[in-house]
Amino acid sequence: MTDSIDRRRFLKVLGVTSAGAAAVTACGIGPEPTERLIPYLVQPEDQIPGTATYYATTCRECAAGCGVRVRVREGRAVKLEGNPDSPINRGRLCARGQAALQGLYNPDRISHPLVRNASGTFEAIDWDGALLRLSAKVREARGKGIVFLTGAEQSTFGDLVDEWMKQVGGRRMSYEAFGFEALRAGNRMAFGTATLPSYDFANAKYVLSFGADFLDTWLSPVEFQNGFSRAHAFDAGRPASMAKFVYVGPRLSLTGMNADEWIAARPGTEGTLALAMAQVIMSQHLARVPADASRLVSVLGAHRPSAVAQAIGIDEATIVRLAREFARSGGGLAVAGGMATQGANGAATVAAVNILNYVVGAVGTLVKFGADLAIGSTNSFAELATLMSDMAAGRVALLFVHGTNPAHSLPGAFQQALGKVAYKVSFSSYLDETAAACDLILPDHHPLEQWGASRPRAGITALQQPVVQPVFDTRPTGDVILKLAGKAGTFEEYFKGKVGPRVQNNADQFWLEKLALGGIYGTAPTRAVRLATDLSAVAPSLEKTSGPAGVEEQTVVVFPHPALHDGRGANKPWLQELPDPVSKIAWHSWVEVHPDTAAKWGLATGDFLLLKSPFGAQKFPTWITPSVRPDVLAVPTGQGHTAYGRYAKDRSANAFELLGAQATAYGGRAFIVSASATKTAEHQRKLATIEGNARDLGMGTTEVLPLARAKALRPGDHPFHFEETPEYAKDAVEWWAERQHEQAEIGNYKGEQPRWGLAIDLSKCTGCSACVTACYAENNIPTVGEELTERRREMAWLRLERYWRVDEHDNVQGAVSQPMLCQQCGNAPCEPVCPVFAAYHTPDGLNGQVYNRCVGTRYCSNNCPYKVRYFNWYNYAERDGKYEAFPEPLSMLLNPDVTVREKGVMEKCTFCVQRIRGAQNQARLENRNVRDGDIVTACQQTCPSEAIVFGDLNDRHSRVFELAGNPRGYHVLAGLNTKPAITYLARVVAQDTTSHG
Amino acid sequence: MVLILALPPAALSGQQAQSASSQSSRYQAPVISDTGALKGPRQPIFFRHDIHAGQDQIPCMYCHYSASISSEPGIPSLQTCIGCHQLIGGTTPAHQAEIKKVRDAWRERKPPEWIRVHALPGFVRFPHMRHIKALGTTACVTCHGDVQKMAQVAQVSTLRMGWCVSCHVKNNVTRDCSVCHY
Repeated sequence: MTDSIDRRRFLKVLGVTSAGAAAVTACGIGPEPTERLIPYLVQPEDQIPGTATYYATTCRECAAGCGVRVRVREGRAVKLEGNPDSPINRGRLCARGQAALQGLYNPDRISHPLVRNASGTFEAIDWDGALLRLSAKVREARGKGIVFLTGAEQSTFGDLVDEWMKQVGGRRMSYEAFGFEALRAGNRMAFGTATLPSYDFANAKYVLSFGADFLDTWLSPVEFQNGFSRAHAFDAGRPASMAKFVYVGPRLSLTGMNADEWIAARPGTEGTLALAMAQVIMSQHLARVPADASRLVSVLGAHRPSAVAQAIGIDEATIVRLAREFARSGGGLAVAGGMATQGANGAATVAAVNILNYVVGAVGTLVKFGADLAIGSTNSFAELATLMSDMAAGRVALLFVHGTNPAHSLPGAFQQALGKVAYKVSFSSYLDETAAACDLILPDHHPLEQWGASRPRAGITALQQPVVQPVFDTRPTGDVILKLAGKAGTFEEYFKGKVGPRVQNNADQFWLEKLALGGIYGTAPTRAVRLATDLSAVAPSLEKTSGPAGVEEQTVVVFPHPALHDGRGANKPWLQELPDPVSKIAWHSWVEVHPDTAAKWGLATGDFLLLKSPFGAQKFPTWITPSVRPDVLAVPTGQGHTAYGRYAKDRSANAFELLGAQATAYGGRAFIVSASATKTAEHQRKLATIEGNARDLGMGTTEVLPLARAKALRPGDHPFHFEETPEYAKDAVEWWAERQHEQAEIGNYKGEQPRWGLAIDLSKCTGCSACVTACYAENNIPTVGEELTERRREMAWLRLERYWRVDEHDNVQGAVSQPMLCQQCGNAPCEPVCPVFAAYHTPDGLNGQVYNRCVGTRYCSNNCPYKVRYFNWYNYAERDGKYEAFPEPLSMLLNPDVTVREKGVMEKCTFCVQRIRGAQNQARLENRNVRDGDIVTACQQTCPSEAIVFGDLNDRHSRVFELAGNPRGYHVLAGLNTKPAITYLARVVAQDTTSHG
Repeated sequence: MVLILALPPAALSGQQAQSASSQSSRYQAPVISDTGALKGPRQPIFFRHDIHAGQDQIPCMYCHYSASISSEPGIPSLQTCIGCHQLIGGTTPAHQAEIKKVRDAWRERKPPEWIRVHALPGFVRFPHMRHIKALGTTACVTCHGDVQKMAQVAQVSTLRMGWCVSCHVKNNVTRDCSVCHY
């Protein structure tokens, strides 16, 4: 080489000089001289140092009862994965499930029992002292009212509490902030049974949701998402076409944005729409209607589309078309829930949707009574309201609270009532609002630390076993209760006695088998239901809930946050940092305002809007979005904690403040209120969002195909326009190809190497973001906090980009979500600009990123067209640093197989290279090659809709090779000649006309 | 508590092994009078690899059993020590004093805190099992030196990247960065 000094050589020289300087200050990289190695006293039989052990247990983040396998390394739980043996989640897991680990190792857990002293503050107390005190209190309170309030507990723990309460003359109540009273009441209205059926989404041919957010928060989201994606995905090789999905509701939720068509009916009229559709089906004989449905004629008579179209706000033709599509699909499934059932007429709405299912014959086939879900079997909100009045009247002398936080979801009302209770005991592991108001806190073990069994549905018992030693000085509440009740033994023995086999001699074998499976899985027979005899209450009333006259009132919908839910997720930084799938906002709450409304009120993004309902007032920053009706404002729950640890406390506003504490006619709580909205003078805030642009702008990053076109595709077709390499770039491309060829001849790059690739089916991806949290967990990605997220310095290697999908009138019909991660380009723009070879091409086709080589020039990130490289602006692992992401004991969940990156280092997705190397090592030990399916990336593993497939693109028999050749396949920004290893399969939309912006 | 009393063959039948071996050149661990002159960090218990692995010919894998199946060779649990030293109390007062430390630690359920000798920075992965698989179960010496003759273990190789790579070049195996760095 004769040329003058180039950049790379210049930096080489520079490197040598600075290395010399480093040697002088003696701060080179080297082993710590006094590192200690502490051996086990007794090696646990089932653990090999350096090798992960998996334990099956049950996720208790919600009541769905998904099975999980916990990866344990040297006694630390480092990752949760779905348990493939579980019939509920089939090996998949949602973001909330992934984040359970951050509950276990939460730095704000209560580490020992606390008691309120004379001055009103908490002080430590030992367990024996606390139990002594408590048993005295129980004796005192006998006959004066003892209540044990739990969360959703369909478990042996619940049974134990019931037994104990019977013994001491108390009662157990259960409370969930988002209950399913309307569903129960509606089922009783239509079928005379208050049970919750199971829903078979997988075999549906047409899915119609009336506000039910079955992909994010409704009943059993992972199970439903898995089933839904089987029905809704488009498979080119399959003769059956995809099931169309229509969403009816005032705003697009995560579930709603996956719809092929959005019917933005006026809130409260969803049930009327269902009856109108049933009327069309009956009168036009579109389906084989069950014989007893003839009784419906009188009920449906008043719901002719022409008569109700005006009230619903949807034209008659659309109602008739929907009814026809639904009936003629031959497998229509309608579900009601969420926003549609949380108004005053919620129960009637459910009943109306039941009737719609009934007339098309879905009841008994897709809606199965018998295999009943126990998920919503909490006490009704009306019963809780009674409890609150009992408490306020001093009729409760002793209150126990376990697994629920009503002081947050019922601010004011519950807190006031709580003040009137003589003695309050919390079993919370965290200092939440309810625990903070109690007199004694006896912290429970985390679910991952203790035994248990729950029955999420008839026929299934999900088992829970401790997977790690307790982190703190906590005790299982079951043990505490047994002790207080004066019974011998532990809760482990109690639950095994309840769940275990009657014959004791094979008990060990039984437990070995069942615990490895994670549960006792059976099926319950389907029970036939008939229409109830009295159908008079079915028709939902159309009167609007009205507020005080004279003020311009807005309908405000309060909806559960997909990740934080009722607020219980707010103390987990992974969930706080996870952008909401719809708004892409993290770390704070917001109010959704339609652009027309915002223009009318002169609102800009980030302006604070004061919402004042008859029950309370709160300020929320405005997020302007076309995904909500112009006459509706929507706010998520989850934030606004006044306690609950460093990640939750004093963050944004609590939407529950807007809601009343009175029960509706059917015993539920109204989540739709009228409120006045005023723009405040407060300075607008910058939203902590990861959103770049909500529209695709025709860049071809997301591709959408109408169903008819997708069906017409034949193998070998390439419907997407690939830009030719421009003339000026031809030389560079040829030069690169030559270099590649040369490289293939030397050393490392020689011989048969795999080329790792990914196929992502956008028709399956729902945007639920479970993969994002799984990626955080697997790859030790730091959470950066609200301030840095605002400054766009979030570190998510995998992000979900959401693009609105609009119809010909520019009305939003839904969205396409696209996971965006390193494309592992074959011709990567990041590699040639790295002066130190930290970004380089591995022989197996990855864009390697060598952290210890990286000097942080950030050239690679600047040159990356996909913007998937992330720079460590701070030392997020620094003890007590300003931006510390893993404060003790959160650091316990760091994956020991992945380097924790330092300040000044660029990082990115490497297709979970640690898993690739792990599988290669294992294959080598077994003298074989890596098989297709051996390597499962973290995102692929967790994906509830099975949209992601990883494998070797050079293996002609691999699944990923097959998918990469799919005619729907395309590469993002293919015209840049980057040759990505990720093939996206275009989203297919079941609509006649479609376009996207 | 069930104690697993599994003794390595060499320890159980030391005499037989000696007579069966035709060679009289079996390694005899020296008597150490001045431990201060030994290389390497001083350990809480003067555990002599030269006696265990050298003189008594206990295979490395007996204690560091996971080296052939896992990335980590592992530090033997105290139970492994006590498995033999329940019976073997040592012949000289010096040995007896050290073995007493092991027994005391077991009784007090307080494992010794060994000083780490070989350590790699956090950004390096070294899968032990791949190297054992390729080089055999006696290949530990390649990197750790002749531990069988060390009264106190000291680091003999630099464990720096150049040293790793030179061996990989010699054996014509991968030099891809992402094999070790991720």
